[in-house]
Formats: sequence, C-alpha cells, structure tokens
Amino acid sequence: MGIADFGTIALMAAFAVCVYGTVVPHLGVKNNNWNLIRSAQNASILSFLLIAIASAVLLQALLVSDFSLRYVWEHSSTDMPLFYKVSSFWGGLEGSLLFWVLVQSFFAMIVAFRYQYSNREIIPYVIATLNAIMAFLLLLLIGWSNPLDLQGVIPLEGRGLNPLLQNPAMAIHPPSLYLGFIGFSVPFAFAMGGLILGKMDNEWVLTTRRWTLTAWYFLSAGLILGGQWAYEELGWGGFWAWDPVENAAFMPWLTGTAFLHSVMIQEKRNMLKIWNVVLIILTFGLTIVGTFLTRSGIINSVHAFTQSEIGPAFLIFLAFVLVIGFGLLFKRIQMLESEHKIESVLCRENAFLAQNVLLVGIAFTVLLGTTFPLLAEAVRGTKLSIQAPFFNTIIAPMGYLLLLLMGIGTLIAWRKSSWEGLQRNFKNPLILATAGTVFLAWFLADRDLLWSVHTIFWLTIFVTSTIVLEIVKAVQAKSSQTKSNFIMALFYVIARNPRRYGGLLIHFGVVLMFLGFAGTFFKVERNMTLESGVPQEIGEYSLEFKQMEEFKVGNATHRAAIVNVFDKEGNFLEVLKPAKSFYPTQPQPLTEVAIRRSFLEDLYLIFSSENGGEQDSITLRVFINPLVGWAWMALPVFTLGVGLSMSYRPKSLVAHETILRERYLAAQALNS
Amino acid sequence: MWTSWKFWVVWGLIIGLIALLAFGFTTDPKKVPSPLVGRPAPDFEITALNGAEKIRLSEFKGKPVLLNYWASWCQECKVEAHILEAFHQKYGSATQQIKVIGIAIQDTPDKAKSFARQFGKTYFLGLDDAAGNIALDYGIYGVPETFFIDPEGTIFYKHIGAVNAELLEKKFKPFF
Repeated sequence: MGIADFGTIALMAAFAVCVYGTVVPHLGVKNNNWNLIRSAQNASILSFLLIAIASAVLLQALLVSDFSLRYVWEHSSTDMPLFYKVSSFWGGLEGSLLFWVLVQSFFAMIVAFRYQYSNREIIPYVIATLNAIMAFLLLLLIGWSNPLDLQGVIPLEGRGLNPLLQNPAMAIHPPSLYLGFIGFSVPFAFAMGGLILGKMDNEWVLTTRRWTLTAWYFLSAGLILGGQWAYEELGWGGFWAWDPVENAAFMPWLTGTAFLHSVMIQEKRNMLKIWNVVLIILTFGLTIVGTFLTRSGIINSVHAFTQSEIGPAFLIFLAFVLVIGFGLLFKRIQMLESEHKIESVLCRENAFLAQNVLLVGIAFTVLLGTTFPLLAEAVRGTKLSIQAPFFNTIIAPMGYLLLLLMGIGTLIAWRKSSWEGLQRNFKNPLILATAGTVFLAWFLADRDLLWSVHTIFWLTIFVTSTIVLEIVKAVQAKSSQTKSNFIMALFYVIARNPRRYGGLLIHFGVVLMFLGFAGTFFKVERNMTLESGVPQEIGEYSLEFKQMEEFKVGNATHRAAIVNVFDKEGNFLEVLKPAKSFYPTQPQPLTEVAIRRSFLEDLYLIFSSENGGEQDSITLRVFINPLVGWAWMALPVFTLGVGLSMSYRPKSLVAHETILRERYLAAQALNS
Repeated sequence: MWTSWKFWVVWGLIIGLIALLAFGFTTDPKKVPSPLVGRPAPDFEITALNGAEKIRLSEFKGKPVLLNYWASWCQECKVEAHILEAFHQKYGSATQQIKVIGIAIQDTPDKAKSFARQFGKTYFLGLDDAAGNIALDYGIYGVPETFFIDPEGTIFYKHIGAVNAELLEKKFKPFF
C-alpha cells in the first residue's frame, strides 16, 4: 500500500467522522446529553486532521512530481516552478474539490469551538449542518473525483498545468473564490440551525456578520483577480465576457451583497427576517449552482474546464440544499413574521429594499441568460447561444440604478426622512455630478462618448460626492466640537463608527469598478502592421518595431516582438515585448500580451503575426484601454473597507456573548 | 402573509430549475442539428489562398470530402489544426482517398495565410468572400464547424467545435 492509498483511507475515515458529526449533535440535543455534542465538536478536529493528511499527501506528490497519481500527471510537470506546482493543487477539478473540503473542515472546526458558549442552543445544529455539507463533498470526492487515484503506468513526464493558468493572479483567484463560496456556508449553517431549533431571533445574523463579510470579501477579490487574469492572459483586451463560468461566480456575489445589506435592516429594525433566510439559502445554493455549471459540462463555455461524471451527484447536492433549506423555512415561517412595518416611503429601509430587489433581479437575469440555451432546447428544441450583448443591454441599466441607490442610501435616514432634509442633503451632490459630467463631456469631446459613459460619469461623481460630503460634514462637526485639527477629527470619526465608514469606502471601491467598466465603452482598438524602424502613431503613443527576439521565461520559450514606445513628442517611454510563448507540453503557442499601464489608460499590445518579405514587419493588435487600472484599484479599497467594517462588533452582541460565557463557566464551576 | 401561492411558486421554481439542469445531461451543447445533414452539399467555387488554383466542390464527386470552416482568430481552430493536417497527410496527399478543404470565414488573406504557414497546412485552403456567401449556404453557427460529405455529395455528418482524430477515422471508415 502506497502513501496515496493512505490518503484515500484518510478521506474515507473523514467521511465516516462527518456522518458521525451530522447525526450525533441531534442525538445530544434530544437526550439532553452535552457530552455527545462535545464529542461532535472534537470530531470536527479529527475530520480536519484527516483531510489535512490527505491534502499533505497530494501536495507532497505534486512537489516531488509523483506521476503515479493521475492528478499529478494531468496537472503538473517536473519543469514547473515551485509556485505553480503548489497552485496546481487547486488547478484541476479533483484537487480543487479537496481544497474546498479542507477549508470547509477548517471553518467547521473553528465554528464548533468559537461559538460553543455564546451560541449554545444553536451550535449543535450548526455543527450538524456543516458536517452534512462536508460529508456530501467527501462523498463526491471519494466516489467521483479522487485526486489521489493511482494509474497503472507511470509516465516519465506530466502534462503540466495549463499554461493559461500559469499566472500569479490565476494561482490565487480560485482559492479566493472558494474561500468566498465556503465562507457563506457558515451563515447558511446558522440559518439552518436556527430553523431546526425553532428560534429565529437576530442572533444568527449578528453572530455570522463577520463570516458574511469575509466571504463577501474573498468572493469579490476572486472576481477581480479573475478579471485581471483574463485581461493579462487571454489576449482579447477585455476582462469580463459574461461567460457561464464568470456568471457562476457572479451570481452568489449578487445575492451575497443583497444579504449583506438586508441583514442590516433586520439588525436595526427587526424586519425582513424571512427574506434574509431566503437570501442566504439562495446565496449558498448559487455557489453550488455555479460549481455545478462549470463542472458538469452541460453548458458551452469558452473556459476549457475538465468535464466529469460528477455533474449528477452535484445536482443531487443542490436539490438537497434547496429542498431542505426552503422546506425548513416554510415549516417555521410563522416564527419569522416581522414585528415592524416600514413607516415612510422616504427612508433608508426602502433604498435598501429597492437595492435588494435590483441585485436579486440581476442575479435572476444572469441565471436566466446562462441557462436559457438549455431552456430553449428543452421547450422548443432549438439551439441558441446567449452572448454578451444580451447581458449588457439588460444588466447595464440595472447597474446604473444600483449606483444611484448607493448614493441615495448614503444620505437618507433610517425610518423616516423629510423632503426638506433630502433636498438639503442632495443639493450639493446633484450640482457636483452635473457640473462634473458637463466638464468631462467637454474635456473628452474628441472621444465621441456614448450616453452610457456620460451616465456612469454622472452617477459615479454623484455617489463619490455623497460619500465625501458625508465624511466632511462629520469631520467638521467633530473638529469644531473637540477643537482638534482635521486629520485627528477624521481619525476620531472613523474610529467611532468604523462600520459605517468601512461601508462607504467599499462603496467607493464599487464606484472605481464602474469607472473601469465605463472605460471599455471608449477604448481604441486597431490592427497595426509595423515595419522595423518605422514608427507609427496611435492615440498618445508612437510605436516602433525593432526586431524579433527569443528568450526563456520559466519553462516556456517566448518569441517576442521588441517594440519601443514613445510619446507623441518623441520621448522614449518603455520597451514592450508582446510575444507568442511555446510550452514544452502544449502543441500550440499562446499569446503573451504586453501592457504599459498608466493612471488613466493602458497601452495593450497583442502580437498577431510575423510577416515575411523584404522588410521585416509584424502585425500587432493594439488596444488603448482607458480607466482599466481603476477597476483593479477596487481590490485594495475593498480590503481597507472590509477591514474597517470587521473591526466593529455590535455592542449588544459582545455583551450577550460575555454573559453567556460567564454563565456557562459558573455552571461548570458549580458542577465540579 | 405567506399565502399558499407563494409556497407553490417557490417549489415550482426549485423543481423547474433542478429539472432544467437535469435535462442538461441529455444534451450536448456542442451538437447543433443541421437541416443540411442528409441533403446534398451546396456547391461552391473557391480560389485557393495562394491564388494558384480554383476548385468547385462538385469536381470531387466519387470521393468523400472533409469540409472545414475555420478562421485565424479562432482559438478552437488552433486546437484542431494539426489534427486536420495529419488526417490529410494520411488519407489525402498520400493515398488520395479523400479531399480535405478548409474555408476561412470573416478573415483577411494575410491573416489566413499566416495561420496556414504557422500550422504547416498543406491541404486546400480558401477564403470565403466578404459577404460570407458560402458560410451562409452552409448555415455556419460559429467556427470551427466541419461537414462530412460522402462520395455522392451528400452531407452525412456535421461537427461543431474542434474535431479529434478518432472522430474523423470513425466517420470516414465506411468509405476507405
């Protein structure tokens, strides 16, 4: 028996432990036997360790290139840099599923112990739910896609990680998405726990707030990194194409964002309890739908994912999640009816509600667009494909409305706002947005901008000015009150309410993303044939082809065109080397784009062809992509914003947790 | 407030979604039926990319024809490029058992030529006219698409996406 079999046995044992962890907490509650629940808690350590052992076995095999494992042979090769050997752990279906279970079991372990005193009533059901999810994933792993499967003949060299995936952004993009997907399982488990327990106060929402934020952050980061990867690797000059695989990750992000906002209404106003449960079931369900769509091969995608037999099993998992989730919800629905009604039309609750409806509407549109080819075939028997224009036409206006609501939501009060107050608050942002848009229209008059661009400019200036004015107002008040300078006052204001300012910062990140999208509406795209030594102008640049060069990058050979970039005045800026790369394990060459990044725009070169003939010449596809970099800047802004929001914990929750913990420890002391 | 119709709508949607996704297993997204299968292949005349030769499809009656639509901008076409060439080497140029024709659509002569050079293509390559008339006759949905034509000039199979060597061997076996 080899080490790989040992890993497989560890996975089987982990499956048994997870089944145990699913059943035992229920028995513990039924028999009022806390020892059983304690045992389930300890089992979560055991299952994590077992899965970690299996993961270590796979990692070790990848590092030493042990091709007796089929997965190692399929996804790595001896000449790959260490970094990519590690990242091929999640580079393929089987490995990524193991990675998923590993993280899931780690989260389950933390949850089992972190909330043992503070959420004593609900925690047995939370442990059971998380264990059930893990048991299902382990079953899929062992039964259909075990990365530790051996193969009879041991090849000398592996097939290598798909060169397209050999990019730093791609190495961290999938784990980031998975962290997001898995993170949502915790609020989902708490919601299910509450439903089974039959006690649905606001506890689950408050307790899981940081989990939700973390999950949302990683999902956002995963999406941004994915866009960055597409932009750098795929060589078509864009970063988002409404491909089913992208949509799969986007849908849970949309419902997750809606959830993040609507739980605030539950927290502040004790409303929308049913809706929040619906949203978390949808969000968790959509992470499964997403994984299913990308892995089952039922929908045509440009992404060359390995298809596998795992599809039907995943579909059963999805059915389970939806049926049990909604079944429990309907069983407990009376418990969840709201105690409050919305008091006025003009209030933040309504802005949030409208935002929720829009986000869910977008998610539904994306789901419909993604599955429509199937629907058409099922109903009419016709084949069709839904392309980017469908999504852009329908979703863009919804996106604009969202942006508008983001601005309104910032300035409108909870419960009730007066017309006069609104007029006062909105006057300046409206003036600024309109003036700014007119100025930009004049400034960029030669670019021939579309209406969408003006719309986005107006909206982004509007939202930004609501954010800035809000902060300025608070800081001014603070500084005159405490007689401190502006910087100190800013610090006080943020420290007093980090959650609010974190949120505003995240909104600003969204503004940046929209500006990045706006840039795609006025990008310049041209094919240029350059003869060596003869410069040609495009936009603000002048490009001069020197010669062809060949060099090694990692395990690939690049055949690159050396292109000097000058500005219009003839000042030298940079050498760009757009290339074709040849990987030893791949039959066809890949495109390596060369990008000159600057604050306002990117110069983006794709090497199309070398043309023979008397004079050396090459053909390039040249893009000038305005504002692209701004979309990437959203990530650090999100990081800061989420960090600020996370630093806040509701006072009531902290007090509640402390009391429960002390009460528990006192009871322990009495018993002993 | 949660009246029964809401209950049924939710369950209807869940069951509908699961059923739809399950239906997905019965179909192959790469397979698009063509009304042309079983019909005579529309005839066309086309000049070779290198300008040397002009052919007409009907000239090849009596011999099976592999008709491949491609483009230099198409990624999948690169995947199948060496497979088509190898098939031509084996049954086309060596034994003359089959005629392989590649027609580039929505392409420019320069780019198409450089694609052919890059992948060492030796079988007949032509470029559709600017209006894409030949592609229209064949109802091309996207590239690559490949039509399998029997010696009588009837289309007996159509494949969407990159072809593989086994498929080509299997489909043309009856004629060799």
